[in-house]
This record gives sequence, structure tokens and C-alpha cells, in this order.
Amino acid sequence: MRLTISLALVLLVGLSSCAPNPQPLKKQLTLAVVSGVEGDALQQAARDYEAQKGVHIEIATFPYTNLFEKELIDLKARTGAYDLIMLDDPWFPRFANEQLLTELTPLLEKRGQSGPDSDFVDTSVALCRHPYQSGPLYALPYVGNSQLFFYRKDLFEKYSLKAPETWNDVLAAAKTIHEQETTGANGDRIHGYVMRAAQGNAAVADFMPIFWAFGGEMFGPDGKPAVNSPEGIAALEFMIELGKYSPAGYASFNADEVGAHLLQGTAAMSINWPAWISSFNDPAKSKVIGKMEFTTLPGAQKPGQAEIGNWLIAIPRDSQNAEDAIDFLLWATSAEQMKRSAQRGNPPTRKSLFRDAELVAKNPAYPAQLRSLESSRPRPRTPYWTEIENAFGIFLSKANSGTLSPAEAMNQANAEIEKILQRAK
Amino acid sequence: MNHKGTKNTKSNKRGSLSVLRVFVVRNLRYVLLFPALVFALAPVYWMLTISLKTEVDQFATPPPWFGFTPTLAHYYDAFVTRSFGEYLLNSAIVAVASTACALVIGTLAAYALARFQLPWSLNRRLSLWILSTRMFPAIVTAVPLFLMMRDFRLLNTLASLIIVYTAFNLPFVVWMMRGFFAELPRDLEEAALVDGDSRLGALVRVVLPLVAPGLAATAVFCLIVSWNEFLFALVLTQTDAAMTLPVGIAGRVTQFEIKWGVMSAAATVAIVPILVFALALQKYLVRGLSMGAVKG
Amino acid sequence: MPALFIAPALAVLLSLSIYPLIYSVTISLQKETPGGVVWGIGNFARLVSDSFFLTAMAHTFVYAVAALTCEFLLGLGLALLLNSQIRGRGIFRASLLVPMMLPAVVVGVVWRLMLNPNFGAINGTLKQFGLNTESLTWTASPKLAMVSVIAVDVWQWTPFVFLVLLAGLQAIPQEPYEAALIDGSSRWQTFRHVTLPLLKPSILIVLLLRTMDLLRVFDQIFILTEGGPGFATETISLYIYRTAFRFFDFGYAAAMSFVLLALTNVISAIYIKFLQAKEEI
Repeated sequence: MRLTISLALVLLVGLSSCAPNPQPLKKQLTLAVVSGVEGDALQQAARDYEAQKGVHIEIATFPYTNLFEKELIDLKARTGAYDLIMLDDPWFPRFANEQLLTELTPLLEKRGQSGPDSDFVDTSVALCRHPYQSGPLYALPYVGNSQLFFYRKDLFEKYSLKAPETWNDVLAAAKTIHEQETTGANGDRIHGYVMRAAQGNAAVADFMPIFWAFGGEMFGPDGKPAVNSPEGIAALEFMIELGKYSPAGYASFNADEVGAHLLQGTAAMSINWPAWISSFNDPAKSKVIGKMEFTTLPGAQKPGQAEIGNWLIAIPRDSQNAEDAIDFLLWATSAEQMKRSAQRGNPPTRKSLFRDAELVAKNPAYPAQLRSLESSRPRPRTPYWTEIENAFGIFLSKANSGTLSPAEAMNQANAEIEKILQRAK
Repeated sequence: MNHKGTKNTKSNKRGSLSVLRVFVVRNLRYVLLFPALVFALAPVYWMLTISLKTEVDQFATPPPWFGFTPTLAHYYDAFVTRSFGEYLLNSAIVAVASTACALVIGTLAAYALARFQLPWSLNRRLSLWILSTRMFPAIVTAVPLFLMMRDFRLLNTLASLIIVYTAFNLPFVVWMMRGFFAELPRDLEEAALVDGDSRLGALVRVVLPLVAPGLAATAVFCLIVSWNEFLFALVLTQTDAAMTLPVGIAGRVTQFEIKWGVMSAAATVAIVPILVFALALQKYLVRGLSMGAVKG
Repeated sequence: MPALFIAPALAVLLSLSIYPLIYSVTISLQKETPGGVVWGIGNFARLVSDSFFLTAMAHTFVYAVAALTCEFLLGLGLALLLNSQIRGRGIFRASLLVPMMLPAVVVGVVWRLMLNPNFGAINGTLKQFGLNTESLTWTASPKLAMVSVIAVDVWQWTPFVFLVLLAGLQAIPQEPYEAALIDGSSRWQTFRHVTLPLLKPSILIVLLLRTMDLLRVFDQIFILTEGGPGFATETISLYIYRTAFRFFDFGYAAAMSFVLLALTNVISAIYIKFLQAKEEI
């Protein structure tokens, strides 16, 4: 008897969870966002939209590491689960190349627009085209991230250091602070520099600006990988040199460790993304309120170029609600809504907003951000970027943890990248 | 079952020196056990404190194990602002349903494998095959299962998770229950059958009550596995409607700062039901396991 | 009659394992080229020259052996300690079981925080005892990373070993011990000749289950180190995951999984051969 009852209960539960969702009477969109500050702004915008227009927006949040996989597998399997997805710009070539995204121009034309308006920052919009810069439009940029150089202006003043303009300046300043400053937690030293060198996205993102500044290029003019050029090896050697003034274990650091060090005041300089600036003045999180300064990236043999890292929003090809999705997308990327978003800490992708008096007053780093954004360059736009970044990242991490010499690491990395490209043929 | 006690009695017979020896030996146990206890519980305690500390305190050095001002902000954040209540419910439904299904289906199969002599040494072959389904790395089955669920329109439903977890738990249930049944003498069932009972009736009315502790032990393990499963929950669910706690907790890992507070708050709540249930049944765990399966 | 009893279980397992198996076999023998799908054993051939794969396999074995040894010895020790009427036995037993009840995600996250070289509780507490923790970067150090992840596994799964072995100990009847007493054996002799042989079935189960799980370990390493630093803790499951989900190369991932499956089968067969008391499982 009891068995029968329990069996019945189980069946009931099973069946109820099986029942297909009844068609919602309201329109509904499903949005996949990244967890964290980059996705938060879009989430809040979605709630505003819902309040304004009555369209229910279901938000699915995933951590950075899993968002790519989730989106790729769902789009490739054509599940139609998501109507809008956030893409980190290096992922974009893959998605566009495999024709997983809806082309936006026809949808825009239906609304009387021929394309994204000219207020968008050019480098940001260029990312949304496949091929880069010239091809049809598949996404719109939302989070206008482009790397900035963060440094502790109070410590620079203390040691009469000028704002760093070249990487050698950075090294010298790091050395000074590292050797002399001891106001870190518990009377510990303050590390001159902190960076992330965990294998994968972390190491590569922090390394590319140094790599480019030293004259390195991932691909030579013939399209073959060239990371083991003398410039490339010099750049890696420099990175390891800088590592001496970084906290121990930086070879495994991700953004959260870098963030923790900067917020706790135990490291003085770093490359970082502007989207994270707002935390620095949050008393619940920061011990260095008002002490950080932001500037464009230093140069070396070549002028400093930031790496762009925008978050784009695209509409999957199999979305059932493309018309409603584009409505939301245009709404969210309009000047008015982006300004609201910027007030919440999201870096915009519109030039007018970077110059808006109100916003600049609240975000004194905006002029630097705009300069950085306009002169930035993207990571190589290849659909095989995930594999390349993974392999390259492993070797960078090995070099930084001392397992391989810089020359060996770069040579092996180059060979591995060649293998990846060969397999793709 | 106290063979150590037997040994002690033996030494007692040797006089007062052995009394001292007994004392030292007895306390040595505590000396060895206590650090093990601390080691086992400290991280859990730490997680609890993280859920109650403000962010600045979380990273403070030296780490405050005890002296800090607690805040309930993270719990509020997790359950009111975010959907952890929903994840909790989903996890509960999925865990209970899949455990129940696995127990029912698995016990039936285990009984058959223990009691009926099948041809072609199927008893052994089937048992081994069932166990071997547990060996395949889950990652590669994730994609075909994903495609299967998509084709059956079961993606992003709790049903897909229930089905998959039932399949996960089946081998373990069959393995365990078969051992218990094998240990049981057949007389009582034979008596029931002679009295006119059906096989199923005999199983339910006579045998099951005898292996109840074993059943309880198996149930606890299945619940733990289903409650904590991560990979398939991640792959098969797409929105909050179907997400379970592990996926929700992992989602707190943001790029710039891991939201340790919210994550710990959610994790603390996530382990409470399991802990309560398992600890309430823990004496059955040992008794149940020792009943048969561990004898092979 | 027996068919009816077994049918549901077989149905569930067959449907959920046959399709994936066929799919995996098929796709491991295929390669996508611009011209279409090509059949061949290319994926398997690639395994031999893939240094990442071989390194990952090596790491997996090191991990499995080290973790299993520690878990077994500690679990056995704890089981022996708690197999008697000591005070607070229930509390000890209950507390020792806690780690294995946590989701791997939570375990990974908590330990990652605790092992953080600068803000973690471990180094923080060690510093308070006066130790210099500069070089103790745990999950960030290529030398210590593997030790750290093994330690976390030991922390989480020793309770399982302990539980099963305790159950096994408690199932041993009094008679053999009394016989040994009469024979005048020492504690060690009794242990070796009475306890251990009677414990064989439990040991077999524990070794089998743990080995299977250790060879497939994924969740907590993924969260603790993601395979780093510089591939130092990359186990085969992580590599398969990356290949399958990041690079979307399912054929190769499937090929690797089959190799792992074959090895697991071989090891399990060895265990069963050496430890099986009766000849029927």
C-alpha cells in the first residue's frame, strides 16, 4: 500500500515536471548573460524594459567559463532556447563563422535604419561584423571594455614617480614600490605589480598588450604563427621580469585574485577592465577608495595599445522571437538607455556618452577610456581562437611558473598553434 | 561487534600495567580522532563564516576565525534577490524523485539477480554490465544525452534530470541491494510463497522490511549523488526554471570578484537538508552497509 | 517472471547508455572536413602523438594512486579507531561523514578560498604560527598544485572509505577473533590474518568505486585550478571536457574517453581477480 502511494507520488512529480510550459500570454524573451558586473547592467536594463513594455524577459546567468560552452552547444544544437546572447568579442568570429547568428541589417532596415548609427564607437562596431570591420553585422556592442592601466596615485606621489608611459617606467616603479613600501596588510610589503597568468583567457588577455607593445604579432604577414619571434620572446621575458614584483602565485591568478589584491591595497599596478572600476569606490569592498588612477596602456617599441574586450549582444539564428529581440536590442543600445546603464557602472559603447558631462563627472576615467577604446586593437579574429588561446595560455602560464624558459615556451606555443591551424584545414 | 573490546579484556587480565596501557590506548584514540574531526569540519565552518562576513572581512589578514560582526546580507541576496529558493526546490524534487525511481527499479532488478538463476550466467554478466555503465566518463555522454533530450523536447525540464540521475543511481542500487538480498536466507520468502503470496508480494511484505537499513543506506547515497550533481545539470538546463543548486552556486563565480558571500550562503543552505537527513540516518548507514553488500 | 523484474532497469540503462555509446563510437571514427564527413581512425592515431593527452593521463594516474592510497590508509585507520565503544562515537562518526556530503562545486570553492596564498585561511593561520608562507602558493605552484588537489580529494572522500570499511569491520563476527585469542596471536597477527581477509569484500568495493571515480575526477579540479598552473593539474577528464566543449571536437573527446574506459575496465578486472572472495559477484 505504502509502496503504491509512493510510486504514485513519484509518477505525479515526474509527470508534472514534464508538462510542457503553457504558452505565455505575454511575449517572452530569453536572455543569456554572463554573471558579474558585465552582465548585471544588462540584467537591470532587461528589468527596466520589462517594466516599460510589459515583455517578460527570462534571464539565464552563467559564469564566464561556462557561458561560452552553454551558448555554443545550444546554438549548434538549434534548441532555440535563447533569443539574445552576450558574447565576449573573441568568441564572436566562431559563432559568426558557423552561421549561428541572425544577420541584423535586414532587421534594422525593417525599422528604417540602414545600420548602427555613427554614435557607436567604430572599433566596437567593427567587432560585430564578420569578417572583421567589413562584413555584415551580426551583433551590437554593449559593454565598452578596453583595457586600462590602473595604478596607485598616492604611492606614485609618495615616491615622486610620474605616470607610467612606457613599460620600462612600469618596471622601474614596480621595483621602487616593491622594495620600499611596507604599508600592506600586517606591515607586509606592497607588491609593485599584479597580473593574471592563469592558463587560458587570463594569461593571454594580460599578455597581449605587452606582446604588441614590444612589436610581437601572433601571425606573420604570411598568416603563419609567429609568436616565437625575437620580439615575442622579449615580451615574455619582460612579463616574467614584472612577475618578480607580483604576488607569489600570480602564475595562477584569475581576475578575482587581481581584483582582491588591488581592492585590499596589496598591489600597486595592474592592467584591468574599466567595468570593474566601480568596485574601487565601494566601501563594502575596497580599502583603496580614491587612491587609484587610470590611464591608457604604456608602450615600448610600439605605442601602447589596449586590447579591446567588448561584450556584444547577438540574436541566435534559431530564436523564435527575432523581431521582439531586435526591439529589445535597439532599445538597450539606445543613447538614453546606455546612459542609464553607464550610471550603474557599465562602460558605454557610444562616443557621446563618453563625453557626456554628467557621466564624466562621475567617472573621471572616461576620457582615458575613450582614448583607449578608439586606439585599441582586438585579439586575432580567428574562429579557432578558443583553441589558440587555450594552448598559448598554457605555455604562458608554464613560462611564468618557471617550468619552461621563455624561448622554449614560445617555440612550443608556436608549434602548437601551427598544429591547430593544420587540423582546421 | 567489538573485537577491540575483546583484546582489551585480554590485556586487563594481565594486571595493573595493562590498566595504564588501556587508559593510554583509550585516550590515544581521542588524540588521533580529534584532529581528524577538526580537519573534517574546519572548512565547513569556514564556509559558514564566509557566508556571514562582509566582503572586507572575507579577505582580511589574519583571517578572523571567530571575531567578526556577522551580517545576513548574503542570505538575503541569495534567496530574496536571486533565485536560490527556486534552485533549492528544483534540487529537492530532482533528488527525491530520481532516488525513489532508482530504488524501485533497482531493487526489483537486484532481487531478480539475487534470487533467480538465469541462463548463460546472465546473473554475473548483467551485474557486471550494470556496474560498468558507471565507468564511462560522464563528459562524453553529456552531449549525446543533450541531443536526445532536445529531440524529446525535455531540455530545461526537471524530468530530464530525473531520468538521467535515475540512470546514474541504478548501478549503485542494484549492486548494493543485490548483496543484501544474497545474504538473506530464503526460508521466509519460501514460506510466504507456499502460503500463496506472489513473488512481488513476498518481496514487498517479507524481504524489504528485513533489508530496510540497507535500503536506507542506499537511499542516502543516491540522494547525495543526485543533490550534488553538476555537469548534467549544467548541460541539460538553460534557465532558472530548471536549474539546480550546484549550477546556481557555480554561477556566482564572476570574472572580477567571486561572490563568495552569496555562494557560501547558498552552499550552507544547500547542505543543510542533506546533512540533516544523512545524519539522522547515519546509524542505518553503517548497519545497512554492513548487512550484506560489503560482504560481496 | 525474472524478466519482468529486471526489464525496467535494463530499459532505463539501455536507452540512456546505448544511444550515447553508439553516438560516441560513431563520432570517434569520424572527422569533419570541408568536403564532408570522413571515416577513419584518425582520432585514435592522434592520441599517440598528443603530448597533452599523454601528460593528462599521467597526471590522472598519479592523482588516482596518491589519493587512493591516502584515502584508504586514513579511512582504514579511522574505521579501526571508531570500531569500538568509545564515548561520543556517534558524534565523531557523524562529523567525519560531513565532507562527502557536500557538492563538489562547494568543496572546490571553499578550498579555493582557503588555499588562496594571500587571503586564504590556511596561509593566514600558518602565518600566525610564525611560518613563512611566501613559497606556499598551493594551487598556484606547479609543485604544490597537484598535492593541493589531492589533499582536497582526500578531505572529501576519506569519509566514504571510512564508512564502507567501518561497516565491513562491524560485519565481522566475534568467532574468528575469539579463535585467534585462544591461539595466542598478537594484535598485529590478528589484524593481518583475521581482520584483513574478512574485510576483503569491503576493500574490493571501496577500491573499485573510488578508482572509477578518481579516474573520472572533474568537478573539484575544474573549480580549484582548472587544470593549471600551466597544465600541472590537468587530468584526463578536464582535457576531454575542454576538447568536447571548448573546441567542440567531439570525435577526439570520444576517442579519449574510450581509452579511459578501456583502462578502467582493465584495472577493475585486476581488482576483482585479486580480491574476490567468492567466484560469483
